[in-house]
Amino acid sequence: MAESWDESKKRHPDWLRTLAAKFHAGPGFERRFLLLFTCAAGALALATSVYTVEPSEEAVVLRLGRYVSTEPPGLHMRLPFGVDRVTKVKTKVILQEEFGFRSSGEDGTRTTYGNDDLKSESLTLTGDLNVANVEWIVQYQISDPKKYLFNAREVLKNLRDISQSVLRRVVGDRIVSQVLTTGRVEIAEEAQRLTQEVLDRYDIGVRIVTVKLQDVNPPESVRPAFNEVNAAKQEQEKVINQAEREYNTVIPEAMGKAEQTIRNAQGYATAAVNRAEGDAARFRVVLKAYQASSRVTRSRLYLETMEALYGRMEALTIIDKGASGVLPVYMQGKDAAPAGDNK
Amino acid sequence: MSRSSATVFASLAVIAALVNAIYILPEWEQAVVTQFGRPVGSPIVKSGPHLKVPFIQRVRRFDKRILNWDGYPNQIPTKDKKYIMVDTTARWRITDPLLFLQTVQTEAGARMRLDGILDAATRDVISSRNLVEAVRNSNKILDELKARAGKEVAPGGEEEEIVGEIEAVTVGRESLSGMIIARGKAGLKEFGIELIDVQLRHISYEASVEAKVYERMISERQRIAQKIRSVGLGERSKIQGKIGKDLQKIDSEAYRRAQEIEGEADARAIAIYARAMNSDPSFYEFVRTLEAYKKIPPGSRMILSTDSRFLELMRRR
Repeated sequence: MAESWDESKKRHPDWLRTLAAKFHAGPGFERRFLLLFTCAAGALALATSVYTVEPSEEAVVLRLGRYVSTEPPGLHMRLPFGVDRVTKVKTKVILQEEFGFRSSGEDGTRTTYGNDDLKSESLTLTGDLNVANVEWIVQYQISDPKKYLFNAREVLKNLRDISQSVLRRVVGDRIVSQVLTTGRVEIAEEAQRLTQEVLDRYDIGVRIVTVKLQDVNPPESVRPAFNEVNAAKQEQEKVINQAEREYNTVIPEAMGKAEQTIRNAQGYATAAVNRAEGDAARFRVVLKAYQASSRVTRSRLYLETMEALYGRMEALTIIDKGASGVLPVYMQGKDAAPAGDNK
Repeated sequence: MSRSSATVFASLAVIAALVNAIYILPEWEQAVVTQFGRPVGSPIVKSGPHLKVPFIQRVRRFDKRILNWDGYPNQIPTKDKKYIMVDTTARWRITDPLLFLQTVQTEAGARMRLDGILDAATRDVISSRNLVEAVRNSNKILDELKARAGKEVAPGGEEEEIVGEIEAVTVGRESLSGMIIARGKAGLKEFGIELIDVQLRHISYEASVEAKVYERMISERQRIAQKIRSVGLGERSKIQGKIGKDLQKIDSEAYRRAQEIEGEADARAIAIYARAMNSDPSFYEFVRTLEAYKKIPPGSRMILSTDSRFLELMRRR
């Protein structure tokens, strides 16, 4: 110890001695010293009285504890030596809070930790007393830095508490299937609105930008059952589609066939009428000619017809009017034909 | 003691007194000044620099902002004997620092009071009602159900039905917190504390109940799945029935139409024939008979009686 002390004494005596000499050098040195001191103090004052506000921030200035102003980004002056105190608040930045999960790392990839704390954060009771795992984010902005700083001590904690409470309330008014599927957007919107309402009531200068539901799942052990429901839905659709397909194959064909039947009938109708008209026209024409010389024509027609008819016969048997009891031995099958004329 | 050192000492004492006489209240603080423990004047809430009597008076500072209270999750049985964990949070503020100082002294002391009062209030309010009152805020679900029951639901659209019955809520979550707040407010007033808000942050089933709830959820889902499948099969049958029905309808309608058309045509044809033939029925009969004769197929056999008109000349000898 003693040795080192001596050593240091040995090492420093030079400048110690010169300093002592300077002190005793007289008023010239004292003046210089004072000047130096004033300059240093001035520089320090200047340095502490200038501050910059970044583009994403606003600065709240307190003078002796009392709020004076909120300053926009740029270079600003303040009273030095702690008279003015400046707190910078990131008002332009959109901040995010996560519920039920935490983003990890700089690259923003998401990992969900299975720890109990987060699990309890996301487990939510639905209106039909089921449980769903709801993860969500809240993006917010500090809209009023003064209120943000002075109206609540732990703004973030308030925000988290309220968001949880509100989201649970909103989810609590819906059944589990709605929460898991169709109700997501509606839930987020309602949660955003209600959260903002509560925050406004506290008047803590925070504006909710958006509330978004992330993963919404049934609890792990129940998930297969929920998947079964989805599978059943698919199955149902499949079965219905198959039946519809069957309908679509059968019915149009039947309708085509019905159309065909009707068209055929219409064809028949046209034909029948035309035939009748034709026959009638022919009859009228023939009748006219016939009436001109009816007797002759009548006989001619009769005889000609008979002639042609008998000419075509394979056999012609003539039986006397008086002969009776003749067996119709010739009459066989299709050859049978009524005999005699009609008159 | 030299004279100069006495001066130095005196000036130091003056400076110390001055420094001690000035105190600064930031925006978020309020203070009570006490003199030997006795409060002096009314509490100071205005921010900025203030003066007091040095050394004799003491400044006790309190927060002016909204403060948090975090309840310890409580296991509470509801009226319908369901064990749930209720986690509440509250926001409060010191509104009467003097009263606050006299009754609870510090924030830690206040938190203890809050614990006691709010836990009790929560317990009272929750346990005297059914679980649904704490979960749901309104009868929105029931209203929607009713609205849906009124309308005929499109097939396949109502697949995810609510299983079991939905109990109606008479109070609701919001009002429950309202009741807790009202009770808390009354109890906390005498401590100079304003209770701003109590939120039911989290309600969950107690761990041992949870497994049973999950089982119930599973069976519920299975029931729903089964129902969905059955609805699908039912729909299929309906469609198949519709096929049969439509087929029959289409066929029979076509038949009817065809018969009507043909019948009308036949009727017209008959009328046309009749009109023409009526001008000379006997001639028609004659001509038509001859036509018919012509249609007797060739190669037939025929037996004629001698009194046939054709043979008239033969008979005449």
